[in-house]
Amino acid sequence: MSYLILVVNPGGGSTKVALFDDERVIFSENIRHSHDELKRFPNTLSQLDFRVSVIRKFLEDKEVELGKLSAVVGRGGPFKPLESGTYRVNETMINDIQSGRTQADHPSNLGALIANKIARPLNIPAFVVDPVSVDEFDPVARLSGLKELPRISLSHALNIKMIAKRFAKEIKRRYDELNLIVVHLGTGISVTAHRKGRMIDVNNANDEGPFSPQRTGTLPLTGLIKLCYSGRFTEEEILKYVHTQGGLLSYTGTDNVLELQTRAQNGDNEALFYLSAMAYQISKEIGAMAAVLEGKVDAILITGGIAHSTLVVKEIKRRVEFIAPVEVYPGEDEMLGLALGALRVLKGEENPKEYK
Amino acid sequence: MGYKILVINPGSTSTKFAVYDDESEVFLENIFHTKDELAPYPDISSQYEFRMNTVLKALEERNWNITDFNAVVGRGGLLYPLESGTYEVNDKMCEHLKLGIQGEHASNLGGLIARAIADKVNIPAFIVDPVIVDEFEDVARISGCPLIKRRSIFHALNHKAVARKVADLFRKRYEDLNLIVAHLGGGISVAAHKKGRVIDVNNALDGDGPFAPERSGGLPVGDLVRLCFSGKYSYDEIISMIRGKGGLVAYLGVNDVRKVIEMIKNGNKQAELVFEAMAYQVAKEIGGMATVLEGNIDQIVLTGGIAYSEEFISKIIKRVSFIAPITVIPGEREMEALALGALRVLRGEEKAKTYNPPEEI
Repeated sequence: MSYLILVVNPGGGSTKVALFDDERVIFSENIRHSHDELKRFPNTLSQLDFRVSVIRKFLEDKEVELGKLSAVVGRGGPFKPLESGTYRVNETMINDIQSGRTQADHPSNLGALIANKIARPLNIPAFVVDPVSVDEFDPVARLSGLKELPRISLSHALNIKMIAKRFAKEIKRRYDELNLIVVHLGTGISVTAHRKGRMIDVNNANDEGPFSPQRTGTLPLTGLIKLCYSGRFTEEEILKYVHTQGGLLSYTGTDNVLELQTRAQNGDNEALFYLSAMAYQISKEIGAMAAVLEGKVDAILITGGIAHSTLVVKEIKRRVEFIAPVEVYPGEDEMLGLALGALRVLKGEENPKEYK
Repeated sequence: MGYKILVINPGSTSTKFAVYDDESEVFLENIFHTKDELAPYPDISSQYEFRMNTVLKALEERNWNITDFNAVVGRGGLLYPLESGTYEVNDKMCEHLKLGIQGEHASNLGGLIARAIADKVNIPAFIVDPVIVDEFEDVARISGCPLIKRRSIFHALNHKAVARKVADLFRKRYEDLNLIVAHLGGGISVAAHKKGRVIDVNNALDGDGPFAPERSGGLPVGDLVRLCFSGKYSYDEIISMIRGKGGLVAYLGVNDVRKVIEMIKNGNKQAELVFEAMAYQVAKEIGGMATVLEGNIDQIVLTGGIAYSEEFISKIIKRVSFIAPITVIPGEREMEALALGALRVLRGEEKAKTYNPPEEI
């Protein structure tokens, strides 16, 4: 017998919906919501009933028999810090989301609510898996150098944990007996240290570490402080710059790594230089995480969209291969990550965690 | 007969000077200047004659004549970026030291005083490895934001001196080794030395890398921006938070590692965590530099005042010993490093370099 799992992943202007038969995808589609449809809602949470009805209609069109579903799983939001795992959507979680007790207002907060709305009448469980706020830091990782600014754990936990577990399965070991460095290369970049199944340090991809296609990463602080007090920029402008308009985009005018790779391969030295600089900083962060793990590293796993760039991967490999063997898993599959998280619980391989 | 070298190292409220006979220190003296003595001078560079005369008088009292010396060497200042080495103090350099071309700092007086004394008896004046030594590879200059460049500013004098010492210990040339040197002092700088060149180093002054006794090191940038715009702090207050009131001072209110160790012995758990975190961040920086050198590292060298703390060192070693063997050379011997820099040139082992920066930088 296999499990039929509905996966829901709400984004800003769309909701991704997929159906899985165990780990096999039956369909995965992105339902777009027009600006006109969404503009009548004052905030993200008030879109709940609208999005649910759109999904129900979509499933009807696809002739999905809801009665055959085993579970519904939604993307988790920027909840309060929590351990990695698959969480049953419970009243506490729903209350926290609805009363704004999360770290940010983000469409992913709808994931748990939608999953719950669909699952409840069917009497099947609703889950969320590894939200961005997964926090398994050792206390020592929380200090920055200034009391007012603690380091926090925000990462592409869903994809990172999925890849870590996939690798463990491939080499027939358990994730919780391995030490790994998992690197997610997307528009943001997370470099994470995993010690025996716990992600004990990670550069907060919004605020720290290597620069990415769109983000500046760590900057020399004096220069940044001078910009803040220059009177030339507002707070929003600087934050927007740091989070969405820095990095490759600010140096080369594009955040498209594959385009830069093509340019580099055609002799554009500037494109080559900035891709190398990004790889250089990613490598340094990997080296730092190797020290976190005291050099006991079973493997370095590189994943995310940029892992498709052979040039970037080669540049990183050259610098970090002395630490541990490097495995590459290009792309990011959030829908599969969510389905697998639900499946592990349905199969009894893992206990669901209780959100408190 | 050995070379006699006068070494001058001006600090903000004192002038340290020493006489070397080849590698051996003959004596060392630190003359403190009172606030009243320094008050008449509008800026640091105008103090040079006063400080010079103080040194000359002290030499006389010890029955030294400046004709006894073969060279005078001073601590280098905030000049334009330059390669590592021993530099003859030329007119251009004097002009830039007086102007404080990259900032006012007591060390700017080193070259000026050395030159003024040397000119009296027609002997060479040198500076050695100032903090603005810059041997970065271009890739290290990129921060992630075109408006902000990563800069090479670090404890170059001690870095280079201990790196050479380690090379001597292993009977190799510094230029043939790959080293990671961590200077652990009031500020902490961790550098990748590739065959005699420092190709990357965290800028301890600008807020980059591990936190240190008085400095914050790198911080989460978004949160820092929010702090700057919170309206609660002036520019100067934020700068002093990252430089002077950051790191150990921010968490524990003390900047002395010995005091932190005492707090830990008295059962202070917060002190234990903060101490561990500082070592943790140093280790992460060393790990980062290991990838800069692609894992080809002959030695990791731990130096500076905090390297006297075995408790601290052992926490770092636990995390980085997988990278390379570790040599600990505690303390900071600036006077010796300056003397040795001059000596290498006097003996003809090295050529003095000429300070000649491009007109526009």
